[in-house]
Amino acid sequence: MGRTVRHLFVAGCVLLWLIPLYLLVVNALTPATEYAGKPEWTFQGFAFLDNLDTAWNVAGIGDSFQSSLLYAVVCGLVAVLVAAMAAFAVVVLPIPRPAFWFWLIYSGTLFPLQMFLAPLFGMYADANLYDTRIGLMLVYTAWAVPFAFFLIRNHMTTMPPELTEAALIDGASFPRIFWRIHVPLMKAGLGAAFIFQFTAVWNDLLLGITLSRSPDVQPVMAALTTLNNAYSSAGPPVILAGALIVSAPTLVLFLVFRGLFLRGVTASAR
Amino acid sequence: MTGTTTPAPGAAKPTHVRRGVPVRTPHQAAKAGGGRLGGPLAALPWALPAFAFVGVLLVYPFFRSVYGSFFEENGFTSSFTGLDNYTRLADDPIFGRSLLNTLMWVAGTLLLPVLAGLLIAVATHRMRFGGIAQLVIVLPFAISGAATAVLWNFMLTSEGAVNQVLRGVGLDSWAQPWLLEWPQNTLSMIVASTWQATGLNVVLFAIGLRAIPRETVEAAELDGASGWRMFRYVTLPQLRAVTVVVVGMAIVNSLKAFDMIWILTKGGPARSSETLALSMYRETFRLFHVGYGSAIALVLSVIVVASSWMYLRRQMPDVSGTAAQS
Repeated sequence: MGRTVRHLFVAGCVLLWLIPLYLLVVNALTPATEYAGKPEWTFQGFAFLDNLDTAWNVAGIGDSFQSSLLYAVVCGLVAVLVAAMAAFAVVVLPIPRPAFWFWLIYSGTLFPLQMFLAPLFGMYADANLYDTRIGLMLVYTAWAVPFAFFLIRNHMTTMPPELTEAALIDGASFPRIFWRIHVPLMKAGLGAAFIFQFTAVWNDLLLGITLSRSPDVQPVMAALTTLNNAYSSAGPPVILAGALIVSAPTLVLFLVFRGLFLRGVTASAR
Repeated sequence: MTGTTTPAPGAAKPTHVRRGVPVRTPHQAAKAGGGRLGGPLAALPWALPAFAFVGVLLVYPFFRSVYGSFFEENGFTSSFTGLDNYTRLADDPIFGRSLLNTLMWVAGTLLLPVLAGLLIAVATHRMRFGGIAQLVIVLPFAISGAATAVLWNFMLTSEGAVNQVLRGVGLDSWAQPWLLEWPQNTLSMIVASTWQATGLNVVLFAIGLRAIPRETVEAAELDGASGWRMFRYVTLPQLRAVTVVVVGMAIVNSLKAFDMIWILTKGGPARSSETLALSMYRETFRLFHVGYGSAIALVLSVIVVASSWMYLRRQMPDVSGTAAQS
């Protein structure tokens, strides 16, 4: 590739990728009342906080934001803990048929979510879990476990077995070996798994719109969709402000923990 | 995600380890550690929570869904109809369109983000400010599918930014309601999804490029390779491992595409832009054809599993060999 062509190509791509982001920011800042019905290309003032206020309070993104934060943090943590314990059992402990357990737990990621939805809906309706926070947390945790398990298991197989043996000879119990040796040594892997599952739960739309309805239970992506459906009444600046704020947590996580984040992604496919 | 892993080779078979023989496999090593680990059941409590979550909330519903696909069910009554739901699929024009759209998604999200990702990664490799360019392109990956869809909705509506630009540069005849007619609604959404997904591929390819040993490139240069020949015969083969990963993920993710379509068109107008993932949702939760929806979900599952399995078996013989055994 010639140097000039190469530079032009990269510049063109950067421009193509930046324009939508630029439009997102500019129009999220435009005062909703001054929005003229078509996209603005220059800054029309700073009304981001007003737009955000409308989206946050009137459209209920605020409640959902808090719910989603709860779901993503709690389910991410529980899933990583449960998955680490299962990985410990499959990799370190003498469980019979480790391959069977592996595929049993891992099978949860192989199928599209659609395959679980209808029966889950029925089960939730019967168990009075439909449209409850605890119900969503249960399914998010279950959904996050298989992949976290896969990441952590891969990481755990790289630990030298001598560590476990030495601890056993010193008379350490399983919980002690797990908490004092494996968990501290696998901090990076556990962190990558947590960030990955936090993002997955935060970004979920399908489970949210299927298993919940009330504004204080619905996850944030479902709330954003509701806001978007009311396009004409709320106005694009409000919706885009909403889109910006729901992207903030994952964007910050990504920018701060880029290394861990990408390790989580690349490990997914190794 | 495409799961491609090997449970420790031979782990499925009972292993006989004599005491004192050095062993490398972790759980064999634990066995060799003597009777300290207790019986084989001592490990079960550690696996049980994961098994409970996955078993009750994923595996059981999966089989329930398979079972349900043989019934005509509307949420209140259900009757056994055998394979009727599946024969109905064959005659349903919406299912045909949906299948076609799904194929378009797979083809589109394979070609565009993978090719663009490869090109951009190669172009920015060892370039000044290349890292910044990569960061800009990867940013959309960090925002959710739903937020991306909302943004592109804003761009693609009739009075949206895309038409504004086209009219602005005098291409009035190109301006059109992007989301209201098939096939450009599906194609537009594929472009939007490319905008979001390419960044990840750029990063993955960049990691692959950095892993190519300098000596390989220098040796090729000594032999007179440069430009296209260098790319075709040196760079590309070295990127094979990354490409397998990128393509494998693209297949699975494109088949499952939901957020983007649900927010941009809801599968419409007149269900013209539905994919299998959307059709299942609409049949089950909007039209209450629960059994029929389950049948669509099963078709989709079979396609997802079969395509990723076939692809990986061809690309990574060693991995699937073990996977098939266990």
